[in-house]
Amino acid sequence: MFQGLIQLGNELSQFLTPRLIFDVLWSTQLGIIVGMLPGLTATMGVALMTTLTYKFASSHAVLILICMYIGAIFGGSRTAILINIPGTPANAATTVDGNPLAKQGKAGSAMGIATTGSFLGSLFGLLMLAIFTPIIGNAALSFHSFEYFWLTIFGIVISGSLTAPKDPLKGWVSGFLGLFVATIGMESMHAYRRFSFGNVDLAGGIQLLPAMIGVFGFSEVLMVMKQPAIKIVSNKIEKVIPSLKDIAKYWQTIIRSGFIGTVIGAIPGVGEDIGAWVSYDFAKRASKEKEKYGKGSIEGLVAAETGNNAAIPGAIIPVLSLAVPGSAPAAVLLGAMLIHGIRPGPLLMIENPNFIYQVVSMIFLATCAMFVLGLSLIRVFVKILIIPRQKLMPVVFALCVIGSYALSSKMFDVLVMAVFGIVGYAMKEMEYPVAPFVLGIILGDLLDSNLRRSLILTNGSIIPFFTRPISFVFFLFILITVITQMNWFKNFLKAFKLAIKKPFLKMKN
Amino acid sequence: MKEEDMNKADFFTSIFLFLFGLIIFIMSLKMPTFREVGADPYSAPGIVPGILGVIIACMGAILFFRSVIRKGYKIHISFQSIMLFLKNNSIKRFLIALFLSLFYVIFLGKIDYFILTGIYIFSFILAFESKSKKNIILALLLAVAIAASISFVFRYLFLVTLP
Repeated sequence: MFQGLIQLGNELSQFLTPRLIFDVLWSTQLGIIVGMLPGLTATMGVALMTTLTYKFASSHAVLILICMYIGAIFGGSRTAILINIPGTPANAATTVDGNPLAKQGKAGSAMGIATTGSFLGSLFGLLMLAIFTPIIGNAALSFHSFEYFWLTIFGIVISGSLTAPKDPLKGWVSGFLGLFVATIGMESMHAYRRFSFGNVDLAGGIQLLPAMIGVFGFSEVLMVMKQPAIKIVSNKIEKVIPSLKDIAKYWQTIIRSGFIGTVIGAIPGVGEDIGAWVSYDFAKRASKEKEKYGKGSIEGLVAAETGNNAAIPGAIIPVLSLAVPGSAPAAVLLGAMLIHGIRPGPLLMIENPNFIYQVVSMIFLATCAMFVLGLSLIRVFVKILIIPRQKLMPVVFALCVIGSYALSSKMFDVLVMAVFGIVGYAMKEMEYPVAPFVLGIILGDLLDSNLRRSLILTNGSIIPFFTRPISFVFFLFILITVITQMNWFKNFLKAFKLAIKKPFLKMKN
Repeated sequence: MKEEDMNKADFFTSIFLFLFGLIIFIMSLKMPTFREVGADPYSAPGIVPGILGVIIACMGAILFFRSVIRKGYKIHISFQSIMLFLKNNSIKRFLIALFLSLFYVIFLGKIDYFILTGIYIFSFILAFESKSKKNIILALLLAVAIAASISFVFRYLFLVTLP
């Protein structure tokens, strides 16, 4: 344990140079601005920043991306509180109590509480990341191709269910379409060009980053331009720094939300928005002041902001231990790590054991920067919200274009970005979640190689897919997830509950 | 989107998904198995996309039956309804943004990057603002400043050869 702490201290001290501290500050502040501006999401910010930093040294680039990620998820709370519009989807739960507080003239203290909640959530998640990444990584060393096959299906099914709770079928469609996209291009076993129609560029496959910039960047530009303009109502910002008493009062909520946020974040392809909502829901159920929820509850605000920021380190846990992203921005982070020659996954602990300590140090620095910047310069940066969308969106699109092009100087990548942007827009309009789609693109190769490898090993028999213990557990989880979403099962459950309650109700009467 | 419109959209999407899945499956069947060079038949490149094609087609079929039950097939398209749709301000804004952005992508590499980016930003700003003299000058200044900044940063700081 002490050796681990010494190692962490060593890695942290390496980041404490004036140049890196400066980079931490500007990238976190840029992240806060990106998060604040409705229409600019954390995923878009991290994706664009990846294209800007791909020539940097790997640890330097990943540090900047993590700062952008943490800053953006936190920054969205500003807009949620001030104008009742979540800056990023992760801050949707923040609007419920954050905006009523602003309307009561407590915008400053709401922002201070949100900042502290985010800070504590990130720290809690960071602790979980430091503890669980090596454990999960070691457990994953016993995974074979059968388990990896189920892991990809599990990721798609659970991500589809949780990101489309109203209609999980659309979530699953989205995930399987993503898996299909990953099969385009040259496959790994025979170098056969699938679905390339003789096109050299298509034979190279669809690159993750241009596709993600399209899905999260261009589609958002179109979405923002379609929606009516946002009216900014000026809020007077008073005292920002919260009192220790206010925070200490909700220590149970902070720990609970930190834990829930991290766990939800660690589920493949689910993300910070669900982390915030689930934390908020649990806090409301456990609260002694339920009536205040939705009317400006400080506890509700703390739960939402702790939950979404705790989900960030949570989402990085499977990135490092399994090479499976926990959220959409984490998916870009995974892509960026691969670009920089870092190979996350179970072997990371063997090949590059210091990297986990480096990531822990990076998250710690970004969290501290977010806390300091979050409590200062508020009045100055809130003015950014008044930039009209018709001036901001063309700049965003120009960056999407040059960002996609910059990666490998190919016009094909720009076309991929544009096509995926239009596809992403259509999906969002028709309520198909895009997170499982992106997860599918990332996991497609894992599914393809491991399914074929398993079938070769078993000579076509599918029995070992169900008889190996870990495989069976994955299969069981998938089955339960799918069955519990079926209407007939929900009706059966309702009837079953009623049948149990009936005798008791009769006895009461 | 309203629930009624969503059912209609689901009806069309389900047909697309079913056909798409079917096409993927057929194309996968036609892929070589490499048996003639002694490869294991289970290493065939068409296996995974074939399975994915079947799954996508099945999900398309489920979506189709669901949208039919919800009467998503009752589609009334008339000239007036199309005109009404196109006159909607949201749709207008969306189409303008889409058209200008695609114009930018299509001409990228054919026109000098700085000039094209400047034209794109200038026309985008003006398309959504009143064409007063002040707005035109401001849009022009912004377009030049932004296009120059992006060109400079990518060309000289990130050492990217501009398209």
